[in-house]
Amino acid sequence: MSHPDDLLADYVDGTLAQRERAAVDAHLTGCARCSAEVRQAGAARAALSELEDVPVPFGVTGPVLAEAGRRFERRPGVVWGRFQWAAGLAAAAALVLVVALNLGDGDTTQNAAAPERAATAGGGTGAAGAESATPGVIPFAGLERQPDVNYDEAGIHAVANDAAGAVLAAKDAAGSQAAFASTVTDSKERTSLARSCIDRSGVRGPNDELIRLIQARFDGTPAFIGVFAEGPGAGQAPDHIVVFVVATDDCRILSTASQRIPPG
Amino acid sequence: MANPPARDEDLVRRYLSGDRAAFAALVERHERRVYNRALRMTGREEDARDATQDAFLTVLRKLSSFRGEAAFTTWLHRVTVNACYDLLRKRQRAPLLERGEDDLPAREPPPAPDHADTSSLSMDVQQALLQVPEDFRAVMILHDVHDLRQEEVAAIVGVPIGTVKSRLHRGRIALARAMGIEQQQRFVEDPEDPGTFGESRGAVPGAPRSGERADASGPSEGTVSP
Repeated sequence: MSHPDDLLADYVDGTLAQRERAAVDAHLTGCARCSAEVRQAGAARAALSELEDVPVPFGVTGPVLAEAGRRFERRPGVVWGRFQWAAGLAAAAALVLVVALNLGDGDTTQNAAAPERAATAGGGTGAAGAESATPGVIPFAGLERQPDVNYDEAGIHAVANDAAGAVLAAKDAAGSQAAFASTVTDSKERTSLARSCIDRSGVRGPNDELIRLIQARFDGTPAFIGVFAEGPGAGQAPDHIVVFVVATDDCRILSTASQRIPPG
Repeated sequence: MANPPARDEDLVRRYLSGDRAAFAALVERHERRVYNRALRMTGREEDARDATQDAFLTVLRKLSSFRGEAAFTTWLHRVTVNACYDLLRKRQRAPLLERGEDDLPAREPPPAPDHADTSSLSMDVQQALLQVPEDFRAVMILHDVHDLRQEEVAAIVGVPIGTVKSRLHRGRIALARAMGIEQQQRFVEDPEDPGTFGESRGAVPGAPRSGERADASGPSEGTVSP
């Protein structure tokens, strides 16, 4: 007799009809292979049913609910809501950005010390190029996920330093490429979630432009790291980099760092 | 007497017609299952957290196009499973440097099973579960851990019910082997079918085979956070 493979899952579950069950029982008495399988499958099933659900850690769904609330506010025909801006849809916004930053021609790929994420850097031009075809602006390329990187204060300062170097280089260099070598640029949803979290923390000033966003850890706490170019406003070039670190669960501020951009 | 709880589909309708609390109620109702499913699937708290958020964000984004052809829970669970697949794929693609030591062969053997201690037992099971190929793992989590009926599992995963049965049986055997539950000695292995994976007889590369303790090398998707 051929092995009743298609019945064995239900046999182990105990859901077979009487007749089929009897047929499988009869087969098992003479088939070592199926008997062994049934024993193993039964043990595995028993072990799995012992697994208990654990409580959901604090803050997992908080950001989702916050995003739901914001969608709600945006819903009735808000055209220039910050979400649309954040999605990088607005050519006009890019224009404003150029004026605000008042950078020279071109930009760069200069990434100073950000540790060797170079593996995927070469491919980074797609999204970035679409986001900013305008020369002189550091394109925001999306959320970089660095799940296994744990930053400390010094690391955050290094990030600020890198960014200052990148903005400075953007004033001299030509071409439009991603300014930062990023690892994985994540989904739009997650990127907008991270931006919302940064915005919600209330840290963003009127003349700040987000140039980089990282998801990593800070002193062990899951965190979003937002890097902003900050200018005096009134169309003047950015003169500072400000980095904000906020917790991913409730968007509270964990740390900040700033770095002056030397005059170009 | 309290009102009976609102149906999921009613909460969806209420949210779409302007009741913002309705979405929060949906999330609150389902977050535990979604999170735990993701935790079993990915084996890492960090990934479970991300997958849970991704799943609910997808739901939020697509809620207006939810027509109720499938039950809301079926849809939510499908979205969750897909979010886990996406995350696992991303982790596999990430440069080695990113993944650190998770990828290296186990530095030290996992502690010997201590069946008197429930938490270490479930740790063993979770570790072993990560050795089971994803498609099989998903079906086992839905059915064996979370007690969904085979019909529901088939609808969530989008395969015929016969495939669910086959994945359940093959997956359980793989799990048993990963846990070190061997066949009895008197059993002489049948060379024609040594319990390989597949919907029928086809083998799946990477599946642990009999006699090969799966803990010889670490799980490919990271380890359980303490």
